[in-house]
Amino acid sequence: MSVADREAGPLAPSGAPLAPSEAPGRVLVPYGQGRIRGLDAEELGAHGAAMDRLVALGLPVVPGLTVPAGVSASLCEPDTAEAAVVLVEQLSGRRIGDRGRPLLLRLSASAPTEIAGLPPDLACLGLTPGNADELCAVIGRAEALYEVWAATLRMTAEYALDVPGSVLDDALLDTPEPRARVEALLSLAARHGSRPVPDDPAQQLALAARALLARWDSPRARRSRRAQRLPADLPLALHVQALRIGPAGRSGYGTAVSRDPETGRLSPRGFFFRGVRRSAPPPHTGEPLDRLAGGTALLEHSLLTLERHLRAPVSVDFEVRDDEISLLAASAQLRPPLRTAVCLAADLARDGALGREEAVRRITPGQVQELLHPQLRLTGGEDLLVTGLPASPGAATGVVVLSSERALEVAADGTRVVLVAAETTPADVPGMLASVAVLTGSGGIASHAAVVARGAGKPAVCGAEGLRVDLAAGTVRFGERVVREGDPVSLDGRTGAVYAGALSVSVAGPPPELSTLLEWADGTRRLGVRVNADTAGEVDTALALGAEGVGLCRTEHQFLGERLPLIRRVLLAADPAARDAALLELERAQHEDFRALLAAVGDRPVTVRLLDAPLHEFLPAPGHAPDAAEEQRAAALREANPMLGLRGVRLALLHERLYPAQAEALFTAWADVAATGVRPRLEVMIPLVSLPEELAAAAAYVRGAADAVAARTGVEVPYRLGTMIETPRAALLAGELAEHAEFFSFGTNDLTQLTYGFSRDDVERQVLASYQERGFLTASPFARLDPHGVGALVALAAERARSVRPGIKLGVCGEHGGDPESIAFCDDLGLDYVSCSAHRVPVARMAAAHSALRQRQDEERHHESGSAR
Amino acid sequence: MQSAAVGLPDAPDEPDSEAVVDLVLRGMWRGRPESEHRPLVDAGLAMVKGPVVLPTERAKAAAARILRVPAGSEQEERITAAYEAFLPVNRKIRDVCTAWQCRPDGSANDHSDDTYDAEVRESLEDVHEAIQPVLRRLERVLAGSGRYLTALAEALDRFDDGEPAWLASPLCDSYHTVWMRLHQELLLVLGISRAVDEALEEELVTRSRG
Repeated sequence: MSVADREAGPLAPSGAPLAPSEAPGRVLVPYGQGRIRGLDAEELGAHGAAMDRLVALGLPVVPGLTVPAGVSASLCEPDTAEAAVVLVEQLSGRRIGDRGRPLLLRLSASAPTEIAGLPPDLACLGLTPGNADELCAVIGRAEALYEVWAATLRMTAEYALDVPGSVLDDALLDTPEPRARVEALLSLAARHGSRPVPDDPAQQLALAARALLARWDSPRARRSRRAQRLPADLPLALHVQALRIGPAGRSGYGTAVSRDPETGRLSPRGFFFRGVRRSAPPPHTGEPLDRLAGGTALLEHSLLTLERHLRAPVSVDFEVRDDEISLLAASAQLRPPLRTAVCLAADLARDGALGREEAVRRITPGQVQELLHPQLRLTGGEDLLVTGLPASPGAATGVVVLSSERALEVAADGTRVVLVAAETTPADVPGMLASVAVLTGSGGIASHAAVVARGAGKPAVCGAEGLRVDLAAGTVRFGERVVREGDPVSLDGRTGAVYAGALSVSVAGPPPELSTLLEWADGTRRLGVRVNADTAGEVDTALALGAEGVGLCRTEHQFLGERLPLIRRVLLAADPAARDAALLELERAQHEDFRALLAAVGDRPVTVRLLDAPLHEFLPAPGHAPDAAEEQRAAALREANPMLGLRGVRLALLHERLYPAQAEALFTAWADVAATGVRPRLEVMIPLVSLPEELAAAAAYVRGAADAVAARTGVEVPYRLGTMIETPRAALLAGELAEHAEFFSFGTNDLTQLTYGFSRDDVERQVLASYQERGFLTASPFARLDPHGVGALVALAAERARSVRPGIKLGVCGEHGGDPESIAFCDDLGLDYVSCSAHRVPVARMAAAHSALRQRQDEERHHESGSAR
Repeated sequence: MQSAAVGLPDAPDEPDSEAVVDLVLRGMWRGRPESEHRPLVDAGLAMVKGPVVLPTERAKAAAARILRVPAGSEQEERITAAYEAFLPVNRKIRDVCTAWQCRPDGSANDHSDDTYDAEVRESLEDVHEAIQPVLRRLERVLAGSGRYLTALAEALDRFDDGEPAWLASPLCDSYHTVWMRLHQELLLVLGISRAVDEALEEELVTRSRG
């Protein structure tokens, strides 16, 4: 920096306008002097502006200069190039051709913003056949230098000396060795070029500048600008940097980011390479930062300084010379890894550098979802078969198949299969498509198998060492372990772990920093978030994820499984005595379920929906009833359209003991749990209502049950009574229904089916995809609440209900309760809560917070525009 | 050159060597009319699994026999030279597809970052520039291989026209799908196993890093 300051005086008075007609040296702007000359990224390019910032922050940078956009073509002039060479020599305190402290130059380009498709950097300017060996001796290795040199010569020959590209291609194909390539390219330029490649560094620089600008004008570069919607005539700034040559053991270059992408914590991560800097460092070949002989203190200081300054995670490129670090480039990571973004937002807000709301705003609901990806639920007792490379994210479990053929056969009936192959060829693609996951013995994360698996959205583990497939025996060996075709395995494409057996797949818990942000989000939002949960176990999971209560407890499962015969006896009983006995047994079983559920809920609200399953789920399959009489009664009950038939409140009105029995079990359980000191806020919900009279009748059953329990136990159970709104008629008659209901819960799945007249199972396969392709729908109405039709019914019902009962509690319990856009819609309507499945609860919390922040912003904007007028 | 390159069928019982080779190189056929695959199925060269037709082991052996050029021939030598130039680029195209699907930190690329996607597109152009001279040479010594350059260019066009599936999707003749087929043909033509292929690619890539 001191060198740069010293040079500033005579070279450039600050604020001087730039013009090509000026003296050659005047268009050259040393790193760090752009701002005092009144130049910004428009002239300096993104790189020049970034180097200015680094100098201003007092960080060490590599010596170099910028030829600003608009005058960059002047670098093609010998005088300007000569002045640039001299200036970089002064800035670096070295001279080209000096054997003791050798110097070369590197030419690069940048646009006002970070873009793709810039011409490649041209390094090794100043190198000649006469001095190359000396430099190789200084470095201690030759390959890299010749390789970089060959790349520079290739570009210069094609774009500045007009050697045909195909001639150069052929020569390079015939000459794989870098040193021979340099010789071939030099002789091709002499033979086919407009002139030979000069030895003089300034002339080389001028030619390189011409080559870069010609490459920027090539059809390929123009196509690239068009693809990025950039102006066709976007000007480039050029940069001439010192490339200081030193022994490979103590010199090199590297790249680092401020945070560990795995944990997101502040801790520099990156790698470095010894020797001469190349355009694109080969991936996975560098050494870790802790092998830097001079330590990483200065690097850490630079990263931390930049992070505070930019309020973003940062990445830098650096040069190592004599074990000292200087920066080559630095930028905010535009798209940091998620963990990094979350940790940084939390760190900045804790330090007071960012408001909590701003921190919440930085993380979208979609990102929350991505952080809570499904993974295998591990208990520690798993049988690990092998660990390979994590090639395609996701977790899956299925049975082993060893060929495409078997995969297609076994998967045909819906069995989940995992294709295991030693290596993959095109013949494995059909099998991969039929599988839920892929495991291969060879290949890396960029293998064909991995590319295909990701292309098909399947989890994959590749390169599992020691995996041996024996097709004849139908087995696969993992070292000593043998697994047979048909055995279950589970794999995690994020960790590369493969386990024997079928493990359960579940959602990961939020990392601690995300929990912090979600707590801040809770402080921001108005809309409540509850969970749809049927059992105590599900309630526990959801509460850990931040649910405020249960918005929908379905009671259907209480009648399935081993209790199916009981409900069957209730429905098909030949005589009332048998029916009552079965009912009593059901009530007892439900009582246990409810007690566990309510204990898990604690003092929170819980909405219990009385039985809603369609009748056919409880009937024996035709021909499977125990006797002819029951067969006959079952046949009489079968329906053409069960989903629109004897369901919900309709079934309860026909079998008058069903709801009272359920409600009594529920109220008794509440009394038991209350005795232990917790008081769940009970809400009893009647499903599938479309007539106010239905609701009134069902409400009478529930009240009767409460009275019966009070008489028996002496406990007056506090509860609210409400109804689902899931038929269009219920929505339209919300005012009348509100006279009998203290709350409504919109069952938006059924409401969507009935409003559209869609049968979900049928249209999702046949109709919706085609409608989305045609542009009729932008999203499935089952995933995103249709604001115009279904949403209008919700809005209308809310308005009518509130006109009758102003404080009525309103919620949504369809799957839409977990969709960010639908959540914003519900928030705008002023509903009280949404209820969604457990794994969507964190997403819903964040979505509700973002909705509240947006409303606040809209109000402020409205207020500002109002006061401006 | 034509006859030497294709290596006409030496087993007269095979109904249609071109079809067998095509099925093996593609790995499967989908949506083909029965008239096309019936003869292969009858000859024990193909099997029908639901909507797809797969080659049998016999078909794979037949395709290998049909495609293999004479060992030690000059043709083999020249194709080997092209194959060795192909391998380092083969590594690059897989890196490009990987970068298109996953960001460097391993998270899925959701294509909301135009600059990142444009960078990937640039590296795809690099690959396409690098493979063209190789394929032009190959075409001179392996008849019919010119179709790969045509198909790659077609995929690149579709990709550039805003159909991202045409880079790496296994469900269409994407750049990666065509590339895999080309790779498989080279292996069968030269009689090289996947294991040898992988080792050679690693060696060539490492060597070029210096």
